[in-house]
Parts: sequence; structure tokens; C-alpha cells
Amino acid sequence: MSTKDDTGLLRSVLPPERVDQLFDLCGTHSWKLILLSAVIGALPPVFGLREGYMMTVISEMFLFAILALSWDIVGGQTGYPSFGNMAFFGIGAYTGAILLKDFAVSFPLAVVTAGVFATVFAAIIGLIVLRLRGHYFAIATLGVLLAAQQISRNLEITGGASGKILFDVPPGIVFYYFFLGVLVAEIIVVYYLSNTRFGFILNAIRDDEGKATAMGFNTTYYKTAAWMLAALFTGLAGGAYGLFNTFIDPQTAYNGAWNVELIAMALMGGTGTVAGPVIGAFGLHTIIEYVETAFVGWQLVLLGLAVIVTVIGFPKGVVGSLREYANEMDYYERGGMAATDGAADGTDAATDANDPEVTTDE
Amino acid sequence: MAIAQFVVNGLLVGALFAAVAVGFALIWGVVDIINLAHGEMVMLGGYTAYWLLSIATGTAEGSVLLFLATLPVVIAVLFVLGYVLQRTLVSRVIGTDIFLTLLVTFGISIAIQQLAIQAWTANPRSIQVGFADPSLIVAGVVIPKMKLVAFFGAIVLTAILYLFLQRTRTGRAIRAVSQNPEAAALVGIDVEHTRAVTFGISSAVAGGAGAFIATILNIEPQMGLIYTLKSFVIVVFGGVGSIPGALTGGLLLGVVEELTAGLISSRWTLAVSFTLLIVLLVVKPQGLFGTGADE
Amino acid sequence: MSNTPDTDEPEMTANAADAVLRTEGITKRFGGLTAVDDVDVEVHEGEIVGLIGPNGAGKSTLFNCITGTLTADEGRVTLQGQDVTDWPEYKIARAGLGRMFQETRIFGGMSVRKNLLLAAQEGGADIGGLLRRPDDSLLERTNELLEYVDLGGLADTRAGRLSFGQQKLIEFVMALMAEPELLLMDEPAGGINPSMLENLIDYIRTANDEEEATIFLIEHNMDFVMEIADRIYVLAHGERIAAGTPEEIQNDQRVIDAYLGRE
Repeated sequence: MSTKDDTGLLRSVLPPERVDQLFDLCGTHSWKLILLSAVIGALPPVFGLREGYMMTVISEMFLFAILALSWDIVGGQTGYPSFGNMAFFGIGAYTGAILLKDFAVSFPLAVVTAGVFATVFAAIIGLIVLRLRGHYFAIATLGVLLAAQQISRNLEITGGASGKILFDVPPGIVFYYFFLGVLVAEIIVVYYLSNTRFGFILNAIRDDEGKATAMGFNTTYYKTAAWMLAALFTGLAGGAYGLFNTFIDPQTAYNGAWNVELIAMALMGGTGTVAGPVIGAFGLHTIIEYVETAFVGWQLVLLGLAVIVTVIGFPKGVVGSLREYANEMDYYERGGMAATDGAADGTDAATDANDPEVTTDE
Repeated sequence: MAIAQFVVNGLLVGALFAAVAVGFALIWGVVDIINLAHGEMVMLGGYTAYWLLSIATGTAEGSVLLFLATLPVVIAVLFVLGYVLQRTLVSRVIGTDIFLTLLVTFGISIAIQQLAIQAWTANPRSIQVGFADPSLIVAGVVIPKMKLVAFFGAIVLTAILYLFLQRTRTGRAIRAVSQNPEAAALVGIDVEHTRAVTFGISSAVAGGAGAFIATILNIEPQMGLIYTLKSFVIVVFGGVGSIPGALTGGLLLGVVEELTAGLISSRWTLAVSFTLLIVLLVVKPQGLFGTGADE
Repeated sequence: MSNTPDTDEPEMTANAADAVLRTEGITKRFGGLTAVDDVDVEVHEGEIVGLIGPNGAGKSTLFNCITGTLTADEGRVTLQGQDVTDWPEYKIARAGLGRMFQETRIFGGMSVRKNLLLAAQEGGADIGGLLRRPDDSLLERTNELLEYVDLGGLADTRAGRLSFGQQKLIEFVMALMAEPELLLMDEPAGGINPSMLENLIDYIRTANDEEEATIFLIEHNMDFVMEIADRIYVLAHGERIAAGTPEEIQNDQRVIDAYLGRE
């Protein structure tokens, strides 16, 4: 919220117009960038990283990027911040695990079914919770997560509180490429959609749902569609997770701490952007992984503090803040003042001062 | 007869839920914040009483009077904690996006929870309060004396809060800030301070309830979120501004949970509570839309 | 119930062809208060119609009943010969009713261009249209309209960063992008400075002449509304107390009383 005033040093080292150019460059070559990132992501195994700790950590980074980006479709792009996305993950994880273990279904089929189940679940739950706004929506989604967790704990088919142990686990490289593949597919889908009318409508719902309705959009359809898309990718990831982790129980499948983690990732990277949640997931997971090994048991304390610091000091995240910084120059450079309504300097300054609140409130 | 027993059990526990929920509703109404760390205040209240008693007696056991003597300390500690949290952290996000306020309190919640695990391990604990004759039997219904004490303790906490808000100068300031912060500031009320006091009082009531909870149920570091959500269910049911509503909601929730535990299985109580939350939100959405969710 | 044919009333058929909007007996009560009381209005194609009245006269409530934001307790709303009284808000909008809000509402988190593109594509809801990127002709039209209101340079700026006056213009061109059958404007002249007001009058006139926009507007600025409107309706205490050309309204004793009585 305060990045605008104290940027003297930043200005000289990295002038806004440079940042702006960088964004333009990324915009023009976006598809090449995505391809390049996918190729770089695919390389480590080619150069010999086939197993072990690093392999697992990188796979988990892909996994969290999927979850954070999925959260952002609804939380960031559409403005409905869910505290229950892990419910989709849990549904996916249990569907996958049950199909693999109890029905001896093949891995690909189990994963796809997991994605489908999570999507259907989202459609049903969405009809209920997407009618709510603000506090009510947030708590209702949290309630969905905890109810799902409790129900899994008590059913026979889910293995109750002790969960399910899975055998015949494929080699790590399978998961590495699976998570990478899903992530790349999701980045492509989300990036593509963000430039279509569908994507615009989601952003419009976030900024002013009443106005979007007044413009002729039945916002319920679009919210539900976004929510289902998020559930699909989260469910796919969940479907593979049981096998990847060789074990699931209600606590791991519907992991409330992970839910905070993936929100924190999206927030730190920058909500409402495509790159933000992915960057945030890579960054925060690296830190958490480090803390987890160096200071066992303190990772959630760190996560809590990280969330607080981000929310208070840095709510637009890395990408959001940079974009704002570049865009600010843009506004004046391209005649923002010149084009104003004559004597409106006063109005202009007032709007500017209120700006952060205006945008976050909407 | 079994049903009567479940209902009585439910009412006894429900008063504690109500006391917790009243604190939750207070912050919601006055500061317009859903405090996701509210359950952690219950947990910390329970642990504070537990350790005070342990220091005093060497074990977490003692007489009723000794236990009751810890309460003022518990309430004071939790008041200070709540005040400081509001002043240093929560105040910084008031008036911004609801989502950010939720995240800050969620961040506080998980940090406290994990710190508690580090400090006291994840094992459940409880306070043993000794009675020569632990239970009353009224018309065939067994009433443990400690539960009765806890019940009245919770009612007294709620009543004190109610009177405080109605009768004292600070209480009036709190109500003024809840109705219109700008106008309150104009008539000379220190809004920031009042909000912090509200946060402190809310935490203190939660902590006091937590101390009673430690005597009749278990306390553990991860118990918080469940109490936060129960509070939400109760407040949604009873209405944000209403202490009698919260009391009714709390008692009802207690009865529902005990009936579920008694008639089905105690494993299903939480699943029922959370499903109830979602059902309530579905059934009453019009009533819920207006408050806080307005753009 | 929305199928009730509008041709039930034969004496209306002559006008029905060119009445873009007609309300008959619209009544809206809030508790004991009747905010809008049995109000008939008609807006014909190509007209600019003003709606004036003292504060609390029920103007915005009438608008909300027309757009479907509120449901009238009594009366019918007909848009292009279709009875839309019980339709949901989004459906009425899609049937060709555009709206500008008093407090100016645009999508602050999106770029100016995206705001316009969104408005333009409002027509179709098929999957293909949703998943296509905006085509060149649309982009051209956005640029054209932005140049028209002298905001061409700000196309890629986040709309929330613009000044109030600029946002008002953006909301106006968004409404034009949608090419509505009828545009409702709630106090377009509110809160903008005099030089900007001149521009706005020009823009609205041009839109009316060249884009054939039909406009129904609430306004408090009398000079503005007298200059721009072809016809004017006057509401007071929820009732329609006068209707006519600006000259007729200016000389209507009841209107003068209503305003003087209020102030």
C-alpha cells in the first residue's frame, strides 16, 4: 500500500518505464515465454535428476503452483477468495486413492476421474456458496473444507481416520512430469482465458458485480464456471497426490494449512495475474522447504508471519506491485493529466490518494 | 430418559459455546472483522488456567475455588493479548478488503497454534477439579457439578459483558463505534483505542470460557479453528448484534451436538456442526447478504 | 408470465411501434412509504427524455424498477414492445437497456480498453463468443470511441486510476459500445466541472444524432437538462406531476411549486 512514496532509490536503479517495457515484452512474447519455461521445467530429469529429495521438492513446487493458480482463478480473477479450495484437492485425492486401491483402476483413468469428481462436486457446492459474499462466502468455504474432512474421517470407504496407504507407486519422474504437464496446461488455459471475454467478465465480477449484472451478465454462470475450472485442476493434482505421497488421510487430503499456504502464494506473487501465483508458489515453497528442514516444527509460525507481513505491507504481491509501478508512469507519460477535464487537478489528486482503497474495496 | 440426559449435557456445554460466540460477535459487530484467531484465544485461556493451576499445585488439579481464582488472571492476560493484537496488526487492515482482514487473523491463528505446539506439544490436556461428590442427580439426569459450575460461569461471563456494554461509559463508546465510527470520532471517542479495547474484551471472554472448557473437555493447541467456526454458526443463527441471540444459538448448538453424539456417534458431531453451518447459510441467505458483505 | 402480448391495448398500437420504453402504473412501496406512485412514462426512439424532481421524489427508484434492480409492486414495464416487468436484471440489460450509475461505476481493476471491450461484446452469450479474443474491428471501435472523448492515450491504464470526470466519460463510452436500444443515465452532469459539462453535452448530442442513441436521464442540473432534453417528466413525492417540452415544464406552476416548496 505504500510502495508509491518511497521509491527514490528504486526509481534510479529501475525506472518505471523499464518495468513497463519489460511487461510489454512479456506481453508480446508471452507464448514463447510459456513454452520456454515449460522446456526449462522439463530439463532437470534429462540432465540426470531422476530421484531423491530435489526431485520431490521440485515436483511439490509444480503441485503448489497448480493449487495457487487454481485458487487465483476464483480468488484473484473473480474476487471470491475461497478458504476451502483444499476440499477439491481432498475429493480428488480420495477419488484417486479409492479407484487405485479398491477398484484397481489404471493411474491415468483414476486421475482423470478424480478431476471430474472434483469438478462435479464444485458445481453442486458452487450453487450454494457462490450466492454468498464477503465474510459469509469465506467462512462457508472453510465450512465445506472442514465438513468434507470430518465426513472422510467417518466413512468406511475412505479408510476413516487412519486413511489409505497406497502401494505400487510409479517412479518419481512420472509425478514430476505429470505435475509439470498439468501446470503448463493450466497456465495456458488461464492465460488464454484472461484475454477473452470470459476472462474479462470474471474480472468485472471482481471489480463490481452489480455493474456486471446491470450490463447484462448472469454472473452466477460465470462464477460457477470459474469455480469448476479451479476444481478441475485442483482435483487432477489431488488425484495424483495420494500415490505421490503413498498415503492419504483426512488431515493430509483436506489440509487446512495448505489452504492458507496456497492463498499466501497467490497473494505474495500477485493475485489476479497468471505469473504471480506461480512465482509465489515457487518462492514460498522453497522457503518453507528450507525452514522445514532447518527449523523443524516452525514452518507454520513462519507461514503465519509471512501472511501477516504480506497482507499488511505488500498486498498487491510482486507482480501486482511492479505492474502498478510501471502503470503509474504510464498514466502521466501518456498524458493522464493533460487529458483530464481542465480544472480537475483537485479531483484527480483526490482520486489518486484514495486509489488503493478504491481498488481493494471494489 | 436418555434424551433428557443428552439435552441437559447439551445445554451445559452450549452455554460455553455461547460465551465464546458472544466475543466473536462483538468484534464482528464493532470492528467489522471476522476474527479467525478467536478460537486461539479460547485455547490460550485454557492453557493459561492450566499452567497457573500447575504452578500453584504442582499438578493441574485443584479445588473449585482455586480454579476460580485463576480466572481474573486468565481474563487479564487475554485482554492484554487481544488489545495488543488489534493495536499492532489488525488495525492496519481495517477498512481494506475483507479478504485481507480474514487473512491477517488467519495468519495470527496458525502462528499461535504452531507456537502452542512448540511450547506445550500437541497432546490434549485437561484441568481436574476435585469434588467430594462429583455429580448431582436430578430426576434421573446426571449433572456433573463441574459442568454446572462451567455453565453458570459462562452465563456470568456473558451477563457481565452485556451489562458492561449497556451500563458503562466504555460500553457506550464501543456501541457508538459499532454504529458509526466517524460520528464517534467527532464526539471525541478514541476509535482506535475503543476498537482495541473491544478486541481485548472479546479475547478475555473467550479466554475465560476456554478456562472452563479445560475443566470439562480437553484443550489442545489445534482446537481453535473448531471454536471459531462454531462461533460463526451461532452468530449467523442468532444475528450479529444480539447477545440473547448468541446465547440461544449456543445452547441450541450444544444440544444438537450432544444429541448427535448420543444418538449417532460422537465422531459425527463436528461433521454435523459444519454441515449445519452450510445449511444455515443456504436457508437464510437473504438475511445474511446485507451485513458486512455490502460493497 | 412475461409472454403477455403488449397489443392488448389497441389505442396504444399507433405509438407502440416507436415506444422504446413504456411504464404503466409503476408503483413501489418501501414499508409504509410509497416511493413511486402509479407512474406512466414513455420514451420514443431517437428521443432524449429528462426526468427531474426534488430529492426523494422517487427518480432513482423508478429507474431501478425499469432496470429490474427492484421489482415494482404494481404496474408493467415494456421494452421494445416486450413485457419485461418480471425479468431478472441481467436479462433486461441484454434486451437492450444500458445504464449509467449516479456514482459512476466502471471496473477499476481492469484496463480502460478491457472495460470497453467487455461492454461491446455484451450481445452474445454463446461459448464461442466467450472464448474468442476480441477481433480487430472491435479494437478499432474502442480506439475510435476513446479518441472521440480524448482519452486515447489511456487505453492501457487501469481504469481505477482515472479521475472522476474521466471515469464518467469511460462509463459513457462503455454504454455506447453496447449500442443499447435505450440508455438510462442517472445524473450524468453530477460532480463534473463546467468545461467538462460542455463536452458532455456535445458527446450526448452527437451520440443521439449519429449513433441514434435513445436516452432517458435523471438530472438535477436544470440548465443542462433544459438544453439537452426533447421532453421532460417531473416527479414529486413519487407521483408524476408534469410532462412536456422544456418550455412547458419551465412555465408549469405545479413544477415551480414542487421545487420552491421543497427549498
